[in-house]
Amino acid sequence: MAVEAARVNDDLIEALREIVGPRLSTSAAVCEQHGRDESYHTPHPPDVVVFAESTDEVAGIVKACARRQVPVIPFGAGTSLEGHVAALHGGVCIDLGAMDQVVAVNPEDMDATVQAGVTRAQLNTYLRDTGLFFPIDPGAEASIGGMTATRASGTNAVRYGTMRENVLALIVVLADGRVIRTSRRARKSSAGYDLTRLFVGSEGTLGVITEITLRLYGIPEAISAAVCAFPTVADAVNTVILTIQSGVPVARIELLDKRQMEAVNTYSDLEYAAAPTLFFEFHGTERAVAEQAETVQAIAADLGGENFAWATRPEDRDKLWKARHDALYASLALRPGCRGWVTDVCVPISRLAECITETTADLEKSPLIATIVGHVGDGNFHVVLLVDPDQAEEIAEAERFNERLVMRALAMDGTCTGEHGIGHGKMDFLIAEHGEAVGVMRAIKQALDPDNIMNPGKIVRV
Amino acid sequence: MTETLTPETAEQVLETVQWAAAEETPLEVMGAGSKRAYGRPSPAAHRLDLKALSGIELYEPMELVMSAKAATPLADIDAALAENRQRLGFEPADLGPLLGTGAGAGTICGAVICNLSGPGRIKAGAARDHILGFHAVSGRGGRFKSGGRVVKNVTGFDLSKLMAGSFGTLAVMTDVTVKVMPEPEETRTVLVLGAGDAQAVKAMSEALNSAFEISAAAHLPAGVAAVSAVASVAAAGAAVTALRVEGPEPSVVYRAEALKALLEAYGNREELDTAESLAFWRQVRDVGFFVADGPEAGQAQVWRLSVPPAEGAGVAARILDAADGRVFYDWGGGLLWLALAPRPDGGHEAVRGAIGDGGGHATLVRADADVRAAVPVFQPQPEPLARLTARVKEAFDPKGVLNPGRMYEGV
Repeated sequence: MAVEAARVNDDLIEALREIVGPRLSTSAAVCEQHGRDESYHTPHPPDVVVFAESTDEVAGIVKACARRQVPVIPFGAGTSLEGHVAALHGGVCIDLGAMDQVVAVNPEDMDATVQAGVTRAQLNTYLRDTGLFFPIDPGAEASIGGMTATRASGTNAVRYGTMRENVLALIVVLADGRVIRTSRRARKSSAGYDLTRLFVGSEGTLGVITEITLRLYGIPEAISAAVCAFPTVADAVNTVILTIQSGVPVARIELLDKRQMEAVNTYSDLEYAAAPTLFFEFHGTERAVAEQAETVQAIAADLGGENFAWATRPEDRDKLWKARHDALYASLALRPGCRGWVTDVCVPISRLAECITETTADLEKSPLIATIVGHVGDGNFHVVLLVDPDQAEEIAEAERFNERLVMRALAMDGTCTGEHGIGHGKMDFLIAEHGEAVGVMRAIKQALDPDNIMNPGKIVRV
Repeated sequence: MTETLTPETAEQVLETVQWAAAEETPLEVMGAGSKRAYGRPSPAAHRLDLKALSGIELYEPMELVMSAKAATPLADIDAALAENRQRLGFEPADLGPLLGTGAGAGTICGAVICNLSGPGRIKAGAARDHILGFHAVSGRGGRFKSGGRVVKNVTGFDLSKLMAGSFGTLAVMTDVTVKVMPEPEETRTVLVLGAGDAQAVKAMSEALNSAFEISAAAHLPAGVAAVSAVASVAAAGAAVTALRVEGPEPSVVYRAEALKALLEAYGNREELDTAESLAFWRQVRDVGFFVADGPEAGQAQVWRLSVPPAEGAGVAARILDAADGRVFYDWGGGLLWLALAPRPDGGHEAVRGAIGDGGGHATLVRADADVRAAVPVFQPQPEPLARLTARVKEAFDPKGVLNPGRMYEGV
């Protein structure tokens, strides 16, 4: 039984103006921009966008919406990939971008507290002189609030984990406008249920995250990078398996497929081998990163790895990794004017080579143009489908391909999303993957947001 | 009359919970019962004993992943992992001796549901960070699964995090899939002798901030160090601050030396080899220093406090200024274990009142059942959080049939 959400009216606009003054917009352009993310999903603009500057303002806004049962959609940087910010039922978008203060840094405890709108890059710039850094890097210039809400990860996950492991505490505005602090800076919260982590990855459906305390890490004394081409994807993946199993604490391991390497060669005028290629990065002491690179070189050599190259100086490392850094733009350049539709399955690493090989064969049979980039240390890989959003048949073909890919991953004990989340784009896949757990999630949603105003229509249908 | 129900399959667990929910009959859920005395005494009518749900279901050493039924003994899991030179990364404590239920009885889901996380937590994460997926039966009487066997999975709410530390009050886990880690080739421990608590916390912070990849950091004041299982530590006659380095031998040797140089200003330095290190950290993990003054010997009450590391020494000083007892520190100063002379109210107001502005929480881990029934075992929550906790419990277990009252009265 779907209850039709209430709409924004003049009375609510007036109430919101009392909270945020002139920081409110109903202009079509502003609403349009806040209803779209970086995905292929159709944008759904909210009725009004308010620009909050404090937790108190957010609480006031949510209270005003709750009284009228109007949907609330939190907005960070708009870099999500499954339509997380789409205002499917209209409502009030709370743009948290202006909440961009670093509240506190505690170097001795290695943590920092930031407002939700602070971006990853802003935080690391701020931390520059402390010898600490925040490692989670999803690629996009995402906000920390958004990364927390989507449980983001990225290329560093092998060594540093994901947002799941690195959020220590939160301030959250609940669906009725009350404010809670889920834990404090103390490292561990056996003080009751771990509500902090329940909000991490809740995609704005349980509350609005306004402040986040994060775990920080010492900037490594040394970093080394390595690149190696392989005859087959299976050889590359086996190198990764042996590397991790031997306890080498790799910071990043990325795989680019042959097509992607060709794209980069063309785009950046480079001369990499046109073959599946692994990119490594090691963090540690001078001695450790050298040892790690040598260990991996030995493993790779046994598995047919060619042209193993490694470097420690920043400019040399950047050169080695250039292909990886340019991957997305190089792919898009394969078909100018098109958009990248990025898929996101994750499978047990023992099935990864098989999954990528089958997916490559699938692509060869289809008219779609695509490249593959994988965070192979985690079994997570992305197919970048280059589609023309105006061609309905092409979008339909991409959807069919994605469905086959997800089902292939599920059949291999994998998941439909390793890091992008459910949003409204993958709700049916969530049901396919988890069945009855969706009912448990719905019960949690109803317990915390009985009127279904928090980002309605995402993760679970109510 | 209390009855013990011993389902042999996940299907039978489902039937049992469905029956309990229909009858609104509370169940005490247990694996081996080694941690029955951890938490508030639950007034359950019947016992749901999971001991028949035992056995490793999947172990892929190449993939660093293992699935096991709920009550699989940790001893079996450790043995299987050791054959492949692997281990559980979260170092679950064996609290049996501390709680008076004997050593080596704990089960995998018991460790996970209590979120037991050992000294390695500062680097490797807590139990909850090692769960990849699980199957469970909710208090509503529905089977569900969460996660899977891959490292990254963002399919909706992170239910594994809710389960870890829920003490069986939300759902009955029937199996769990965890990631496992390679056993390090070499483990050494650098000791700094004679540092005061506050100095020791500074030393640990400096070490943890360094590039030397410390995997555990603990501080034992002299009275605690004296009962160490490691002869050279017990004989030191001084406080001992310990920093663990693990990995390939050349790297460990180098890092241990570098660490000793880094910490020169804090006191004399010593080093423990691999065998000594393993014994030393096992005792820290299992709170072994406080076992001897346990049930038979006057029962010191044992508290566990989680605070910001830099505030740890101050919190302990405030408590021990007003009460007889001993403390030691794990997690670089962020985890305090206190053994205090027994009091009818556990001294809970003084203990919790000592926690400063940086926040934190205190759990009464060992005390007589009547004390645990009378004072809050887990940190009381401020009103909005308490209400949220009650709502989450209700979402999973509306009839309150799973371990009711184990964590909070009436929840």
